[in-house]
Amino acid sequence: MYFCLQINSNVDIFALEIWDDEAAKCTFYTVKYDYTNETETDLFFNKYDALAEYKEANQELLSFVLLSIGNDHGAIDELFNRDENEVKGLPVQGKRTIENITYHFREFPLRLYALKITNNIVVLFNGGIKDGPTNQKSSLYVEWRAACEFAKRINQGLHDGTILVNEKNRKLTNYDGSDEIIL
Amino acid sequence: MRSKVAQRILAETPEETKIFARMYADIVVRVNQLLKAKGFSQKDLADKLEKRPSEVNKWLIGEHNFTLRSLAKLEAELGEPIINVPQRKSMGTTGYVTLYKNHTIKTDVVYTTGWNKSKSTNKTALAHVS
Repeated sequence: MYFCLQINSNVDIFALEIWDDEAAKCTFYTVKYDYTNETETDLFFNKYDALAEYKEANQELLSFVLLSIGNDHGAIDELFNRDENEVKGLPVQGKRTIENITYHFREFPLRLYALKITNNIVVLFNGGIKDGPTNQKSSLYVEWRAACEFAKRINQGLHDGTILVNEKNRKLTNYDGSDEIIL
Repeated sequence: MRSKVAQRILAETPEETKIFARMYADIVVRVNQLLKAKGFSQKDLADKLEKRPSEVNKWLIGEHNFTLRSLAKLEAELGEPIINVPQRKSMGTTGYVTLYKNHTIKTDVVYTTGWNKSKSTNKTALAHVS
């Protein structure tokens, strides 16, 4: 008699945790798989900081995120670029979709994916180098798909009440009021 | 709290890079907000600037780097300032102050065919000229 033991892969389990709450107008969250110590957004910024040809672009993008969005403007629509055509396959609830941080004028190589919850709360994911006309045809396709999966789960959590939005305190909490959000 | 990775990279980031990123965002936001306020669509603006709508779209979503020339064109069409350059004004012996403008002050004088005598309530004695 054979038993088919299905081991639930834990790659899908991730924590939603604060990446930065020191900026004046926006709290940034990020995601972290349970088998790693590094968040997806830290992986992104660390990776491109270590590559000499992308170091300056990486610093610019980080400045844009923390200073322009975080301190100056908040997560207003003007600073987010919604790739409508590229998210059709993403079954999101409500109007939230995965978005690019709009910091990619001509020749700017990096893309960082984000999910805007409110004008004051944003979840940052991973990203990569846009080297094709669309996300699907770029080398960052894997990161984009992962971002879509994270966003899908977060949207579900927001929709079914697993995750609560505390707009007053600019934070997300678990349904029981705790800060630990595991999805 | 702030991610330690973010803290480290931000601390290593040259000041000019931070300034560039902030100014860039300010301009993108300002242009988009002026368009909304004026009720211009991207196509309206493209027509006025005699550009292709796709090129104007690239400005507005940030894919196109602004030049001083393109900013001047946008400012002319939108009728309001996009960037302001502070001016320095002498304060006599105490030094200088930096003046920041919030809006453009029109200094044009409307031409009229005749002069109207101004009314003054304060009568100032004329200086004695010998």
